[in-house]
Amino acid sequence: MVESPRSGSWSRQLLLRIRRGLFASPLDTLITVVLVVVCGGGLWNLLHWAVLQADWAVVLENVRLYFNGNFPVSQIWRSWSWLGLLAALCILTLMPSKVVPPAVVRLLPLLWVLILPIGLLLLASGLGLEPVKSRFWGGLQLSLLLTLGTILMALPLGILMALARRSELPLLRWLTTGYIELMRGMPLIAVLFFGQLMIPLFLPEGWTLNRVLRAVVSLGFFMAAYMAEDVRGGLQSIPKTQLEAARSLGLSPLLTVALVELPQALRTALPALANQCVASLQNTSLLAYLGLIELLGISRSILANPDYLGHHLEVYIWLALLYWAVCILMTSLAHRVERTLNVTGHH
Amino acid sequence: MLVKSLKRFAIAPLLLALASCATAPEEKVSLLEQVKSRGELRCGISGRLPGFSYLTTEGTYTGLDTDICRAVAAATLGDPDKVDYTQLTAAQRFTALSSGEIDLLSRNTTQTLSRDSGGGNGLVFAPVVFYDGQGVLVSKDSGATTLEDLEGESFCVGGGTTTERNLNDVLQARGISFEPVKFETPQEREQAYLDGRCAAITADRSSLNSSRSGFENPDDHVILDEVLSKEPLAPATVDGDDQWADAVRWTVYGLMSAEEQGITQANIDEQLASATSGADQENAALRRFLGIEGDLGSKLGLPNDFVVQAVRAVGNYGEIYDRHLGRGTSTFIPRGLNASYTDGGLHYAPPFN
Repeated sequence: MVESPRSGSWSRQLLLRIRRGLFASPLDTLITVVLVVVCGGGLWNLLHWAVLQADWAVVLENVRLYFNGNFPVSQIWRSWSWLGLLAALCILTLMPSKVVPPAVVRLLPLLWVLILPIGLLLLASGLGLEPVKSRFWGGLQLSLLLTLGTILMALPLGILMALARRSELPLLRWLTTGYIELMRGMPLIAVLFFGQLMIPLFLPEGWTLNRVLRAVVSLGFFMAAYMAEDVRGGLQSIPKTQLEAARSLGLSPLLTVALVELPQALRTALPALANQCVASLQNTSLLAYLGLIELLGISRSILANPDYLGHHLEVYIWLALLYWAVCILMTSLAHRVERTLNVTGHH
Repeated sequence: MLVKSLKRFAIAPLLLALASCATAPEEKVSLLEQVKSRGELRCGISGRLPGFSYLTTEGTYTGLDTDICRAVAAATLGDPDKVDYTQLTAAQRFTALSSGEIDLLSRNTTQTLSRDSGGGNGLVFAPVVFYDGQGVLVSKDSGATTLEDLEGESFCVGGGTTTERNLNDVLQARGISFEPVKFETPQEREQAYLDGRCAAITADRSSLNSSRSGFENPDDHVILDEVLSKEPLAPATVDGDDQWADAVRWTVYGLMSAEEQGITQANIDEQLASATSGADQENAALRRFLGIEGDLGSKLGLPNDFVVQAVRAVGNYGEIYDRHLGRGTSTFIPRGLNASYTDGGLHYAPPFN
């Protein structure tokens, strides 16, 4: 291949930039060299271990368990199709808006709300399918189900509480403030223990509340407090003059909230809310300590298999990758929503 | 520390008392009847203990603890697969039993006075299915053979557990100074030991065994002969349901008695035929045991051939043990106290009369 002079100058420019950026002074050089040696050495060791020493059988032979849990094999297509639907929805949301017809784009929020009930129908029963008990739900599928359930419960609850906290009715205001402060003052694991251990004792004899549902309820009530604060932050960013303007235009208080306050507040709060959504995926892993076989829980059960004793490093690296991939997906979805809202906001 | 504070949170006796007041003491249907009418046994297991209960690649649970569930399901329902497993952590297990979320707890639970008594957790224990005890694992290079050899050394131990207390009790009584290094999970404990942060690990011998089999060179490590505590692990049911507790108890005894008599999963049908119309026709004890004669099963509310059902499903106790903890498995634990009394162990089934 013949190098054109242009590309030559380009590469020279790159070299120049590298020198200027990384080796400008002796101190810079030292920092660069130390960082490269430390990071490179660590990475090299990790790669060396991953390729030559690690035994990935514990991951490769249990892929189904990590994704679908111990869902009955004869019904496994239901689990895969829900995960597939979810993936398709993600792709559809992430696609450039020029490619997707506007009608579909308008439907997206509804689809995101519907994906949870669809999942429950597919996984549990309904549609004439054979019922599958929730104890067969596990792995990534259960983690995602818990996350979606938590978000769908916490978001509306959080918005309502944020509004209630600014309400003019003192009792409502005190109650929500008290609730939010109580939840924020408790570690999540304590709330989860309360949900798993105390709720069954308080229920009347013969009543049982599904463990997965108990987990979603505890996670949802906890997250709602944080989301309420994020939304409240958004509400506070709106200048008072806007409310006065809305009132002078003759908008009722309800319409002021719905048309003026919330759309702006939610847009401001979006980065913080997205943060909470990612956190709520990570929070589901705490349920492994409460006997649920979500992604982390099922990994611990697999690690107890005598065939895979001592391979926890492989499993935890695989888990880190999986959680990371899902979190990246969630943050890019959030970025996408942010961009879309900002564009419409300028119109 | 986390576990400790959570325990305090979870075991609020006042709340327990309130909950039991709220439910009127009406005539209760035995769990045995409930299991039969439901057609499924709800069994609480750990699901994370090599050899006792874990997930196979196929997504089914297996292990010594789960085989007990399967045996009880076979005896009560005639089908070992009719088991609904729930994974429970140590903190949850008793609540799950008392709130009726599970029928049977088969989760390596040590039988103790306070767990048995009404003033404590209010459980009824079935016969011990595994005699465990706290042991000490050291590297062969250390040359230690007794606890005295470990004078002044550090021990890796689970924090806030009875293990830590036992270690303290025994070593203090013998005047051995030591330094405990505490960890939450077995993995952390093992890693710390392998990294040389402590000279020994102490935990239940069964758990030490599975730790050791996960090491790169298992033969470089030994478990000392000294046993620091008694840990008789037994299945448990809830207090106040004698019929159900009896059914579970005699199913477990049936597995042990079958081993004493040399009845196995492979020869059970042969034995049955022989006792029905063959060489053993006159053997009344065997005929009673297999349910051909008499009504031992129906006295318990079970089919008369409940032992046959259980042994056909999972084999006798010895077979269960060998399958999960026997020689050749990577979780091999010498039978020791867990042998039948005929071989010098502690397992001894009362007569089936």
